[in-house]
Amino acid sequence: MAYTYLITGATSDVGTALIRRLLTQDPAGERLVLAQGCGDVEKLAPLIQEFPGKIRPFDVDLSDPYKVDTFCQLVTRDNPAPTHFIHLPALPVVNAKFKNFDEVRFEKDWEIQLHSAVKLCKAVLPAMSKAKFGRVLFIQTSYTIGCPPKFTAAYVMNKSAIGGLVKSLAVEYARFGVTVNCVAPSMMETHFLQDTPELIVKAAAEENPMGRNATPDDVVPAMAFLLSEEARFITGVTLPVTGGSAIV
Amino acid sequence: MTEQEILEAVQEIFRDNFDDDTLVITRDTCADDIEDWDSLEQINLLTAIEKKFSIKFKLADVRNLKDVGDLLDLVKRMAG
Repeated sequence: MAYTYLITGATSDVGTALIRRLLTQDPAGERLVLAQGCGDVEKLAPLIQEFPGKIRPFDVDLSDPYKVDTFCQLVTRDNPAPTHFIHLPALPVVNAKFKNFDEVRFEKDWEIQLHSAVKLCKAVLPAMSKAKFGRVLFIQTSYTIGCPPKFTAAYVMNKSAIGGLVKSLAVEYARFGVTVNCVAPSMMETHFLQDTPELIVKAAAEENPMGRNATPDDVVPAMAFLLSEEARFITGVTLPVTGGSAIV
Repeated sequence: MTEQEILEAVQEIFRDNFDDDTLVITRDTCADDIEDWDSLEQINLLTAIEKKFSIKFKLADVRNLKDVGDLLDLVKRMAG
């Protein structure tokens, strides 16, 4: 079946690993990826060379709602309707006490993670509903499972809101063959941790029951499963990918 | 840098971190003496100290710190 994957935050380590997996497992060559990045779409160049004609890059600043509106129009007007929407973007976690809460940064992250997700879902869900098939997938965090670590209020709030969106959309679109889920990895060693002190990263690895942090190779297979045809009866879930550090 | 200078700089970091301008630390001060001093606060303190002294701790170095004295000795060794 011809699938079109709209992947936002596609230039991230998880995004590129997911694109590689989706296109590698496409022997019939029927898959197309609409890949959004922000000022860094050159990171997609190796994949575009490896899978010619299968990736259409978009350079869009998701913190600007007007640019997101234009992006929504471009996606729906000039491309096959997405059958899958995977929303990955977020500002890197900043470890900060609440007294130092950065409201400007929080609002920017809200635009990137939440507001853009709402706009893009509104743009792609009608065609999915009509086709009676669709997969929507978000990336959350194990910090939203149980007791969050201190000093991550901004990150936990936005990711919790993603969880609310997932559950709400899941029940509303279940009748239309559209599933809406998220994966919740524990600390994942990617470029996303650039602003996280090394001591925190190493301590998290040491505290994890498996003795290490997650990697994109741990998380992407879980994502691929939730995006698959056979995951058709799974919706509204948050799938922890944590090595046991957070258990539902 | 003398130990006193390091102590004063570290004390400033503690005061800022624990929101207490009157906090006085000594070599004997330990986590039991400051109510909020848990493992996450400790990492916050250590990362602030790393920044202040332009040093980089290893987890193994900081795992067995018993008190401020141990911390000052470590900073002194690393900062020279």
